[in-house]
Amino acid sequence: MKVVIGRYVPGSGFFYSMDPRTKIIALILLMIATFLIDSFALMLGAIGLIVLLMMAGRIGIKRVYLGLRPLMFLLIFTFVFQILFNRQGEILLSRTVYYSFLSLALAVGLVVFWFFTKKFTRFKLFYFVIMVAGLYAIFTEIGNVSPFATGTLAIYEEGLSMAAFIMLRLIIIVTLSTILTITTKPTDLNLGLEHVLKPLKIFRINTEDIAMIISISLRYIPTLLDEANKIMLAQASRGVDFKEGKLKDKVMQIVSLLVPMFIISFKRSDELANAMEARSFTPGATRTRLHQLSWKRLDSVAIGIAFLALSLSIVLRISPWI
Amino acid sequence: MAIKFEHVSFQYKSIDNKGYLALDDVNVVIENTGEFITLIGETGSGKSTLVQHMNALLTPSKGSMNILGVKISSTAKENKDVQFNPIRKQVGLVFQFPEYQLFEETVEKDIMFGPKNFGVSESEAKKRAREAINIVGLDDSYLSRSPFNLSGGEKKRVSIAGILAMEPDILILDEPTSGLDPRGRDALLEVFYQIHTSLNKTVLIITHDMNTVYEYAKRVLVMREGALVYDGDPVKLFSRKNIDNWNLDVPDIIQLKDALESNFHLDMSGTIRNKKALLKRLEEVLS
Amino acid sequence: MDTLLGDDILDMIEIKNLGFSYQEDGVALSDVSFNVEKGEWLTILGHNGSGKSTLSKLLVGLLRPSSGTITVDGQVLGEESVYDIRKKIGIVFQNPDNQFVGVTVKDDIAFGLENLQIPRDEMVKRIDEYANRVDMADFLEKEPQALSGGQKQRVAIAGILAMKTDVIIFDEATSMLDPKGRKTILKYIQKLNEEGVTVITITHDMRESVLSDRILVLKNGEVLKIGPTKDILLDKETLESSNLELLLPLEVMHTLEQKNITHPKLKEFLWQLSLNT
Ligand SMILES: Nc1ncnc2c1ncn2[C@@H]1O[C@H](COP(=O)(O)OP(=O)(O)OP(=O)(O)O)[C@@H](O)[C@H]1O
Ligand SMILES: Nc1ncnc2c1ncn2[C@@H]1O[C@H](COP(=O)(O)OP(=O)(O)OP(=O)(O)O)[C@@H](O)[C@H]1O
Ligand SMILES: [Mg+2]
Ligand SMILES: [Mg+2]
Repeated sequence: MKVVIGRYVPGSGFFYSMDPRTKIIALILLMIATFLIDSFALMLGAIGLIVLLMMAGRIGIKRVYLGLRPLMFLLIFTFVFQILFNRQGEILLSRTVYYSFLSLALAVGLVVFWFFTKKFTRFKLFYFVIMVAGLYAIFTEIGNVSPFATGTLAIYEEGLSMAAFIMLRLIIIVTLSTILTITTKPTDLNLGLEHVLKPLKIFRINTEDIAMIISISLRYIPTLLDEANKIMLAQASRGVDFKEGKLKDKVMQIVSLLVPMFIISFKRSDELANAMEARSFTPGATRTRLHQLSWKRLDSVAIGIAFLALSLSIVLRISPWI
Repeated sequence: MAIKFEHVSFQYKSIDNKGYLALDDVNVVIENTGEFITLIGETGSGKSTLVQHMNALLTPSKGSMNILGVKISSTAKENKDVQFNPIRKQVGLVFQFPEYQLFEETVEKDIMFGPKNFGVSESEAKKRAREAINIVGLDDSYLSRSPFNLSGGEKKRVSIAGILAMEPDILILDEPTSGLDPRGRDALLEVFYQIHTSLNKTVLIITHDMNTVYEYAKRVLVMREGALVYDGDPVKLFSRKNIDNWNLDVPDIIQLKDALESNFHLDMSGTIRNKKALLKRLEEVLS
Repeated sequence: MDTLLGDDILDMIEIKNLGFSYQEDGVALSDVSFNVEKGEWLTILGHNGSGKSTLSKLLVGLLRPSSGTITVDGQVLGEESVYDIRKKIGIVFQNPDNQFVGVTVKDDIAFGLENLQIPRDEMVKRIDEYANRVDMADFLEKEPQALSGGQKQRVAIAGILAMKTDVIIFDEATSMLDPKGRKTILKYIQKLNEEGVTVITITHDMRESVLSDRILVLKNGEVLKIGPTKDILLDKETLESSNLELLLPLEVMHTLEQKNITHPKLKEFLWQLSLNT
């Protein structure tokens, strides 16, 4: 169980040789651009460009997908939420939904069946779609046997497009951030942040400490995941079987994982602070750096492109002919 | 029934797919009763990785193993139906770092965790916790303390108690005596030896202490760069020339014996493997 | 300013009536007083839970004494001086996992150097030198978490050695090293000490104490005895009352004496042998 968010993955390719400042600034610019884009075609175009960039930079799609996976639930939730509750625009689909004993029983049965068989299939997403289609069929067709209540399922144009939009935006943002954390060592990220935040100094904000806090938090995520992994191994070797067990056991297992995780994460942060202090870390003091930043042509080009993308999205947003 | 490794290799996966070969074609058989084995070898030679295979916490990248009749291979598909719990009940493993093993709120709960999971009743588990904590040389007052607020050696002892309380058939200990004070070290080695002799159980100890190897082991395994390079008698091992290449050392007893023999021409022949025997012999030859 | 003159200047560390407890009840250290001279090598011995690690954490200001004072190089340890003092004392923790800050071995060794504001060129040189010294040069890009126990200890040692502090505390820093690795590190500690570094080693391995100048024995949080290494090495009663042991040759010597077996040449021989382990 390896989770990728916040974890640096050694590798080569131009993303790795880029200056962290470039990557951070470009990330910010492109994120703004994503929020400005309001046409489907452009959004898909943007995704296409990102995929091309990733291929050119030799970053596996799979790695980024692994970064997205923990957010899958959030993505699906926003999608469904938008579809069901946004009632603007034209009606695309309107069906009567039948709540009957049959439809409820079938639906529960189907979900349970899906839940326990999904681990045997390799096409999880496809399997999920089939399940959803099944639910649709049950509630709108099959379940029409002496229903005790009915409702309407209506999908509006605006709802659908909003849902799709939000999802694509989230995907783009997470993908871009994942590229940043995968290709940038936490130390470089720290250094880059420090520089990018420097202008805030005018407001008498200690930017070095903020940069340190951000990068320590980023570094802490994998540490905590490692801790969770350690506890799971410790428990497995003393008789907890994470592979098997009923749902009730699973819940118990998660609880028995959470409590020590809580204690240990406190303990770990204490130890980390001690480790830093014992090696003469003094808050606010200047430090020399092993990693030095060097601005290359590549960086100027990258920043140029990011600016271009942002300007383009602004122009397209305000120009009347789109 | 035994633990049997056939051509086992293991590669640590890192996310960039550049793996690290920690075990390289290991073949070994360990009987499930009556063995007292020490596993030694230089830093990073794969000892901890090897023993984590013995209770199936890790599974081979290549090759296969048979643990007490359960076959485990290198593909996830074939291992799908393997029941791991019976293996872990029978093969108890104490980790190298106690911090990797302790997680409960109190020492008592931590020691009871294993037994309770393997179906021992609450009251019996409590009883075992009390016994185990005393066996490892700590008094009852430790039971109510948090395992995180202990000294290094105390943590080590608690982690050992947690496995002893499971009463496994095969006891595997990863550097159990590092960090223990000398009396604690001797007492615990004696405990492991007692478990071996009185219950005829198999005990396997990883150690860097050559004295432990020489005094207790019936059989010694030596690892180097992921491969098993020696499997046999400890006495023979220390008479070989290549122990230097394996980063090993000659036990204190042998060093002293040899020095006395060559400088004072005292007769030190025969089996002298511990302090007691050495002192007895010296008394004989000197008086 | 008087205190800076006279004999005090010889002391690197001076501890007076030090007391500490983690909780209300239960005392981890009580009334501990001793000093460590500049350039001295002091071994601290004692049973599990006798307070060795606690003492070492107090020395670098990670814990605050309940009573008593600690003076380092003429400076009393307190809220203000703690940062100055930490620049003079390096500590290798008992558990190497507790020490790692960097994401890679290289970054970790660099961390202390960055804090000491060592120029980059010098830093690169030192990382190389000390990674080689502990035989971990091939692992510079690895994550510390993905190392074996002994490899972790080596990295932890390198991270502190590279800082070249005036005082170095080793808290059971070689407990998981193979015999050859342990000897190499000990030899190096000896070399450092000869060059003037003040060394404090905490250990359970009597063989490691032989090279030091003095030994301090703790028991239940109190100083049981402190004295020249030769005296303590022979003090069976003191050692055994804190769960320690005599070195094998000295144990033999002791037993022979008890049995009234005299053999002057043998005695001298055993003594020499014990110093060479
Ligand atoms: N989680 C991991 N990821 C990647 N490599 C690892 C990991 N754990 C260990 N290794 C590597 O595998 C090799 C064997 O490690 P192992 O812990 O088995 O050694 P060991 O013989 O127990 O050493 P020691 O005596 O130092 O504890 C080492 O070179 C180590 O760097
Ligand atoms: N974080 C803590 N909270 C409460 N008590 C603690 C804590 N750490 C240690 N102690 C207790 O303080 C005493 C001294 O512990 P310390 O770690 O200093 O021992 P030590 O001499 O280093 O032992 P060892 O040889 O086992 O490492 C022990 O009795 C221990 O139980
Ligand atoms: Mg190991
Ligand atoms: Mg300690």
